[in-house]
Amino acid sequence: MNRRGTAALALWCLLSVLVCALASAAARADVLEFTHMQRLDSDAATPPGSGDWRDAPLPDAQAAGGNPQPAWYRASFDVGDDGTRSTWAVYLPFLYEGAQVWVNGRFAGHVPESTPGVRVRWERPHLIVLPPSLLQAHGNQLALRAAATASGGVRHFPRLAVGPLAELQPRADRRTFWVRTMPQVTVVVCLLVAGFVLFIYWRRRSEELYGLFGLASALWGVRTLTFVIERMPSDSWQLWRITYLAATGGFIVVLALFSLRFAGFHRPVLERMLVAYWLAGPLWLWLAGGKLEVLVNQLWSAGLIPIGLSILGLSFWSLLRQRTVAAAVMPVTLMIAVLAGVHDYLIAWDAGALSRWWPQWAGQRIFLLHYGADLVLLGMGGLLTARFIEALSSLQAANRELADLNETLEQRVAERERHLAANFEAMGALQREHAAEQERQLIMREIHDGLGSRLFTSLLRVERGDMSDTQIADALRDCIADMRLALEVLAPDDDFQAALGNFLFRWQTLMLEARVQPAWAIDVPDSALQLSRQAALQLLRVAQEALTNVLKHARAKNVRIELRQRGPMLELEVADDGVGHARPEQGAGRGIGNMRARARQLGGDLDLRSGAGGTRVLLRLPVPGLAEAAVHPQ
Amino acid sequence: MATRVLIVEDEPEFMRRFSNAVLNDAALSLVAAVSTGQAGLAMLDLQAPDVLLVDLGLPDIAGVQLIEHAARHHPGCDVLVVTMFADDEHVVASIEAGASGYLLKDASAERIAASIHELRAGGAPISPGIARRVLDRFRRIASGAQGPAGAAAAGDASPLTPRETELLRMVAKGFTFDTIGRLLDISPHTVVAHVKKIYRKLAVHSRSEAVFEASQLGLL
Repeated sequence: MNRRGTAALALWCLLSVLVCALASAAARADVLEFTHMQRLDSDAATPPGSGDWRDAPLPDAQAAGGNPQPAWYRASFDVGDDGTRSTWAVYLPFLYEGAQVWVNGRFAGHVPESTPGVRVRWERPHLIVLPPSLLQAHGNQLALRAAATASGGVRHFPRLAVGPLAELQPRADRRTFWVRTMPQVTVVVCLLVAGFVLFIYWRRRSEELYGLFGLASALWGVRTLTFVIERMPSDSWQLWRITYLAATGGFIVVLALFSLRFAGFHRPVLERMLVAYWLAGPLWLWLAGGKLEVLVNQLWSAGLIPIGLSILGLSFWSLLRQRTVAAAVMPVTLMIAVLAGVHDYLIAWDAGALSRWWPQWAGQRIFLLHYGADLVLLGMGGLLTARFIEALSSLQAANRELADLNETLEQRVAERERHLAANFEAMGALQREHAAEQERQLIMREIHDGLGSRLFTSLLRVERGDMSDTQIADALRDCIADMRLALEVLAPDDDFQAALGNFLFRWQTLMLEARVQPAWAIDVPDSALQLSRQAALQLLRVAQEALTNVLKHARAKNVRIELRQRGPMLELEVADDGVGHARPEQGAGRGIGNMRARARQLGGDLDLRSGAGGTRVLLRLPVPGLAEAAVHPQ
Repeated sequence: MATRVLIVEDEPEFMRRFSNAVLNDAALSLVAAVSTGQAGLAMLDLQAPDVLLVDLGLPDIAGVQLIEHAARHHPGCDVLVVTMFADDEHVVASIEAGASGYLLKDASAERIAASIHELRAGGAPISPGIARRVLDRFRRIASGAQGPAGAAAAGDASPLTPRETELLRMVAKGFTFDTIGRLLDISPHTVVAHVKKIYRKLAVHSRSEAVFEASQLGLL
């Protein structure tokens, strides 16, 4: 921002220097510059020889009053002996309404005047080449017939120069550049910038500053057309003047709105009043039908000056508050513009004041406001560009921050994932350890309570001589059966379903060999068969105990083994058609006690009914997976 | 003509029990009962028995070696492996080596004789656990055979017929032979005959698989 501000300041200084350079256009020795001429108000078609010629200091400003008519100016000059050999010309820095140039009583050339059909207002300087045949070495008579000005207007007659064309040409070119080429460039640039900025505003309505800047630029482009359009059909003239006024006033009012908004003021009433003032001037002129142009110009245009000064004040106040280079851009450019505006006003309507202190400059009639306004537009554009760049930068910074944040987040997520994975790993290891521990305990309890206790009991009874060979064989068979069951259930790869399959297969054979017809009914969903090894072992033990009892004591013909689901419970039923336990023997009694204990261990219960029709053992176990399976059969 | 049985068992009690079971059955004749693997090999070649009853845990050589020898040199000899708890891994390994069935050590004398007769009649015993493992082995053989050849369908690669696979699945689920016979509309005898055929296939394929692997490793 600082660098941009400095660059802008440097540019303004350069422009100022260029403008000032115009004033110091040194007069060349052999160029004759007329500070005085004789004037005669007359509409004569040829230079009048006699009449009331009066001395008129140049530049001359003549109010047309109510009866506008042409005026003749005359002066004499020498070209010297060599002057007849080179080409001489008359240089007219300005002559807005046109004129005829006569030398030695002969018509030498002219600047076209307004005709009934076309209105002219020449901004450019004119260089009228004098035919060498008309010139003599000494005592040439130069006469100009300045065209009548519009009613109520002021005719300005410049300090003209006569000299060799080669000397005058650069002077004319220089002035042409400043009063004609520059405005042309300004018009094009202003309208292009306006189009561009208004496009931004059209797409982003919230950017009101862009809208105002675009409007100001457009208005200024239109206003500057006045230096570009020199010929205008008469019937469009009035409209053009109104447009010109509207553009000038509009520019200042829009500038005021811009300054208000830029300084952060939102005063809708004030803004409406400003807009109303802007519209009042052109409207007045339009209603008056062009009659009061001078009055409108003097009153309404003068009213724009306090508005301009307020803008200046506002921007200075803003500068005091903010104390940044950016805040200085508006006041400085506005200051220059206001000074330029005051300067132009003075030149246009009160040439006396300026010409008293600075006659040489005032005589040039160079209007500076549009250069000042160009600076203001440049400043506004610079500020908006700076804002735009700042917004872009902060957006980029925000994006970078966001990217950084994302990266950080990703890192944290990855870290968390690693952490979680490690946790899972540890938990898995713990679980495996726990499961292994549980299984070890299960096997130990199995050996201790089952096989171990059976072997001990048998040993004691054998030592006491209390067991017959058959009983010993039975006891050992029981032990082997126990162990087989444990091996089946605890086999590493197999689940309850496999163990159940093996169990059924084994007991099928045993039953058939004992002449008992078994009937199996396994009617449970697979989910019910996902028992823990502990539960599987206990359940099959109960079944084994029941079947062993059937084989040993029931003397049954048939046995029915049923595994089924009843709500959340898994039911195992072993029913035979044997003799029942009218008088339960010791072994059978202990077997039943074991079965009840196992059922309790699993949180279930055991129901045993024995009668004439046989024995029925019913084991009921709660199985966690079953409750859901019962609610959702699928 | 009686079925000639060779017993290789290092524990005297069991040897006596098996011998008695064979001797007490008129349809069986005992050609020899030896207690070492080497003696078993010698008797196998010398006597060429119809049935070999072999324990896996012999003092000198592994029982599996004996089974392989029998399968290779005496294809007409049916091998019954003697197992304490029918723990499935050992039984399936024996079947892969060429055994046609297994016999529980605590089986009754009638059961022992009946098993031998069933085997000679073309049947073989199978438990759900063994069925599961046999199925697993065939699945592995199928995927192994696919190996380098690539995209051959697993179904085509399986040496089992769909019926045999179905039967194994049912056994693995715990269905009795009667039930399986009824469901597949065949007699229980045919079921066990199928089982024997399946065992043979497993033995053949496990051997060809071994050969295949050996050649892959450059051993052959």
